[in-house]
Amino acid sequence: MNYRFLALVTLISCACAAPLFAGSGKDFSTTSEAVVEEPYQFSAEFTIEQAYIGGAEVQRGARKVDDFDEYYSNVSFIYTPRIKFGILRLGAGWERYSFGFPNGGQQLPNTLQAVTSIVGLDTKYSDSLLFRLEAQPGFYGTSFDHFDGDTFNVPFVLGGTYIYTPELQFVFGVGVNVQSRYPVLPGGGVRWKFAPNWVLNAVLPTPRLEYQVNRNLTVFAGADIKANTFRTDDQFGNSHGDTGLNSAWLTYEEVRAGVGAELKINSSFSLSVEGGYVPYRQFDFHRTEVRYHHESGAPYGAIMLHGAF
Amino acid sequence: MSTKLTLFFRTFFLVLVLPAIVQAADPVTELAEFSVFGKIDLAELAKGGIKTATGAPMSTARYLSTQSCFVVPQPPAKVLAAMKRFDPTAQRELNVYLHSELPGAPSASNFSKLNNPPGNSSVKALSAATTKMSPELQLSQAEAQKFSPGQPVFAFWSELLGKRAAAFAAGGVASQPPYDHSGKALRPAAEFAGLVRQQGKVSRQFGGFLGATGLLGGKGSLSPELYWELLEVEDEGVLTLGASYQRATAGGGAQLADGLYYASGGYNVALTLYQLWPVAIDGRPSTLVWRGDFISADSLGDLHGIERLASESAMRKDILKAVTIFQRNSSQ
Repeated sequence: MNYRFLALVTLISCACAAPLFAGSGKDFSTTSEAVVEEPYQFSAEFTIEQAYIGGAEVQRGARKVDDFDEYYSNVSFIYTPRIKFGILRLGAGWERYSFGFPNGGQQLPNTLQAVTSIVGLDTKYSDSLLFRLEAQPGFYGTSFDHFDGDTFNVPFVLGGTYIYTPELQFVFGVGVNVQSRYPVLPGGGVRWKFAPNWVLNAVLPTPRLEYQVNRNLTVFAGADIKANTFRTDDQFGNSHGDTGLNSAWLTYEEVRAGVGAELKINSSFSLSVEGGYVPYRQFDFHRTEVRYHHESGAPYGAIMLHGAF
Repeated sequence: MSTKLTLFFRTFFLVLVLPAIVQAADPVTELAEFSVFGKIDLAELAKGGIKTATGAPMSTARYLSTQSCFVVPQPPAKVLAAMKRFDPTAQRELNVYLHSELPGAPSASNFSKLNNPPGNSSVKALSAATTKMSPELQLSQAEAQKFSPGQPVFAFWSELLGKRAAAFAAGGVASQPPYDHSGKALRPAAEFAGLVRQQGKVSRQFGGFLGATGLLGGKGSLSPELYWELLEVEDEGVLTLGASYQRATAGGGAQLADGLYYASGGYNVALTLYQLWPVAIDGRPSTLVWRGDFISADSLGDLHGIERLASESAMRKDILKAVTIFQRNSSQ
């Protein structure tokens, strides 16, 4: 006799498929609005990322910025308490691009950084549809000295995942940033486990092909697209030969392509190391038509510690 | 006067009130008391719907649970008979390749089906993992040491499963060796106890029953129906041992427990509980079924935030699929 009538397959597979999963079943059931007492558990996630990009070149007409390097830092901490409607995301983040310009950098600021709060919610519409709404209100400027109301911005993302099967999920979403050159940008992609240990995680902004060497080690090849907007201070243009650049919004875009490995240290911490090439980047003061285009790329290396508990 | 009043109330309590308390609450009320569903609408469920919900949260990250309830338009006796007839290997979506009952005193010879295992990629993956004694295999150190290179893989497993099944038959889950081949020391008995302990209301509802099984310690007073399976979990073949128990409840219902007390990989243990109540739907004898699924899997412990949310959704969908098959089979 077997009273189980249960396939453990999906049940377990859900645990192994990273962000999004699940089945194709008929959704004729009703999911109960069960009210249960939650045992208190402190749940949160954090990311510490550091990257270095070697000498590269951008250009605007005759203005050339060559052999500049970049240190990228990103730190975030998000408290993720479970509530009736899903999972809240409340936290703070700091992101910094620090450029080393040997020749002054023409009209480009040598630092772009943001200090933000993070407010969001992960929830579900059904067992097949999960949603995330997350805003990052904060100060997006060039230095701590110049963070004020002018640098305040509230970009946000609204994304969803349709879980078709445990092996195949479709991700869709939109990013909204009213200060960006493109205020509304669609995103998304597909996550497909097409063979044992192989996952095509083609979801922006980090599309990847992943191979799980074992339960604790995954290697990958793919891209990482970074883009954000920052505002210069009200004297920046005066000191850089174009008053139009005073208090100007700058959209910075960077594409990294590389390979890497992610090591799961334990059930809460993972360490990623990757390296590759930056084939594209652009500095765009889009409202004043001042654009520094990519001219030549550079190698990069990055390390990231991620924790979730 | 006061003595007469006391006597009156004592008599009133003994004659009228106490029997009402002792008599089982009606099924809907009883279900509401221990499940996450609260008060259900029996008429709505009778239309064939299946309610699913994530179970009460548990503090151990590797634990997850789902509860479901539904109505089968057959009396409990027929539902139980359908359960006994059920062959999981006939349902492709369940990914169970081999299923076999075991006698009360099992041995390696009861696993003869493993002499000709299916030749699919999942079984090959299990075979390859065994050959290199992968740390992801769930064995005791002593069991792992018994494997010698060149030994037929499934002869090794037959021996191991036979010994574990015999140990369970003799001494319940407490007699199961730990999974300490790869360094962690995880005991199936502790996992069952943890799963049940962290579901307070369910534990109270099934405590007496589970205490009589071999799933919470020693052999128990109830006789199990033992079985083993070869199934697929996450693209890998998994050999598992199970025990099913049943007891009748007042009013013609039943409680059932199905525990997977050993798995070669994928999950640590799994427990499925059922409560069946006889109900009448438009005069037709039917059965209200509550089902709770509880699992311990190391991989679940790695999930946080939205991943956890998604895993709960996945488990509910998985249970829904299984319950749909159950309901379909039981209704015939």
